Amino acid sequence: MATETDRAACIECDLVLSLPSLQPGENATCPRCGHVISACRKDGISRSLALAISALVLLALANSFPFMALEAQGLEKVMTLPRTAVELHEEGYAVLAVLVLGVIVFVPGLILLTVVALCVPILRRHPAPWLVSGGRLLFLLGPWSMAEVFIIGVIVSLVKIVHLAHVEVGLAFWSYASFVVCFTATLASLDRLTLWREIERLKP
Amino acid sequence: MRPFPSESAAAQGLACCHVCYELAPVSLESCPRCGSGLHLRIPDSLQRTVALLLTSSLLYIPANVLPIMTTSQLGSDIESTILGGVILLIDMGSYPIAAIIFVASVLVPIGKLLTLYWLCWSVARRHTTSHHQRTVLYRITEFIGRWSMVDVFVVTVLVALIHLGGIMTITPGLASIAFGGVVVVTMLAAESFDPRLIWDQLGDEDE
Repeated sequence: MATETDRAACIECDLVLSLPSLQPGENATCPRCGHVISACRKDGISRSLALAISALVLLALANSFPFMALEAQGLEKVMTLPRTAVELHEEGYAVLAVLVLGVIVFVPGLILLTVVALCVPILRRHPAPWLVSGGRLLFLLGPWSMAEVFIIGVIVSLVKIVHLAHVEVGLAFWSYASFVVCFTATLASLDRLTLWREIERLKP
Repeated sequence: MRPFPSESAAAQGLACCHVCYELAPVSLESCPRCGSGLHLRIPDSLQRTVALLLTSSLLYIPANVLPIMTTSQLGSDIESTILGGVILLIDMGSYPIAAIIFVASVLVPIGKLLTLYWLCWSVARRHTTSHHQRTVLYRITEFIGRWSMVDVFVVTVLVALIHLGGIMTITPGLASIAFGGVVVVTMLAAESFDPRLIWDQLGDEDE
C-alpha cells in the first residue's frame, strides 16, 4: 500500500515519479521541470490554523473601522471597505463593487474559513462530512484572492492624492496590511499533498 | 490520437488529479480521493485558452480607449484613460508610481496575452525544443496575472475617498469594468492552458 501512495505524477509535465517521504523543511521538486510538488513544513496544519484564525480576526477589524480619511477645505470623507462597495453600487458600478469586494474580502475570507473548517477536524483526528468538498473549494478559490495586490493599489492611491489633501490612514488599513501577512503565511504553511493525505486518512 | 511520451503518466493510462494530485487510472473517470473529474489532459485546452485570449484581447480595446475615471473639480470634468493616468503621474514627477502602473496595466497584460498566444501556437505547431523555458514562462504568466488588478483598485480607492461634493469628486469610468474583465478572463485563459501539452512533444525528435 505504501508504494502505491508514493507513486505520483508531476502536474506540470506529467512525469511519473515516486515521492520520497519528506522531513520538515524539505521540498519535493520534479526532476524534469522543477515544479515544487510538495513542501513539507513543521507542524504545517496547526500553524495554518493559528494563522488563519489571526487573519480572520484582522479581516473583521479591517471591515469594521475607517480605512482612510481625507480632509480638504473643512470637508471630511471617511472610507471604509463595506462603504466602498455601497458607493460603487450607487454610482451604477455594481459589477465593479462585486468584483473588488469579492477578491479582497469575500474570497480570502472564505479561504480562511475553509482552512479552519479543514484543520480543526484534521488536528482532532475526527472525521467531518465536509472535508472532501472543503478541500476542493479551497483549491478552486486559491487563485482568486488578490489581497496583497489591493495593498499595492492603496499605496499607489495614497501617493496620487497626498498632495491634494490631508489624508489620514485608519486602523482598518493597518489591520488589512497585517491580515495580508497572516493570510499569505497561512497558505504558505499549507501543503496541498499533505492536506489531501490527511483528508484521505479521515475519510469514512 | 498521437501516443504520449513513454515516461508520462498518460502513456500508462494514469491521470494526475488537478485538485488533489492523486495518481489514478483515467478509466475511473472521477478521482477516488476527492471526486473531481479525471482527465489525461485538460479537455480542449488549446481551444478554450485561445477563445478566452481572444475575448480578453477584445476587452483590452475599451479598457484603453474609454475613460477609467472622471475627475470633477469646481464644475469642470476631466476624463482620464489608463495611459493618460501614467502620463499624468510622470508630469507630477512620481516616476516609481508611474512605473508600477505602467508595468501592471500595460506591460503585464500585453506580455501575458502574447506569451499565452505564443505558448498555444508552439504547442499546436509541435515545437520540440525549450520545454523547460516554456514551462517557466507559463509559470511566470500564471503568477503575475493578478497584479494587473492594481489600477482597478486605485480607481476604487480614489472613488471611495475623493467625494467632496462640488470641490472635487471622482467617479469611475467604463474602462474600469473592461479592464477588470481583461484581468479575470486572462487568468481564466492561463488556468485552462495545460502545461503538460508542452512536454507531450518530447518523444517527437526520435521519429
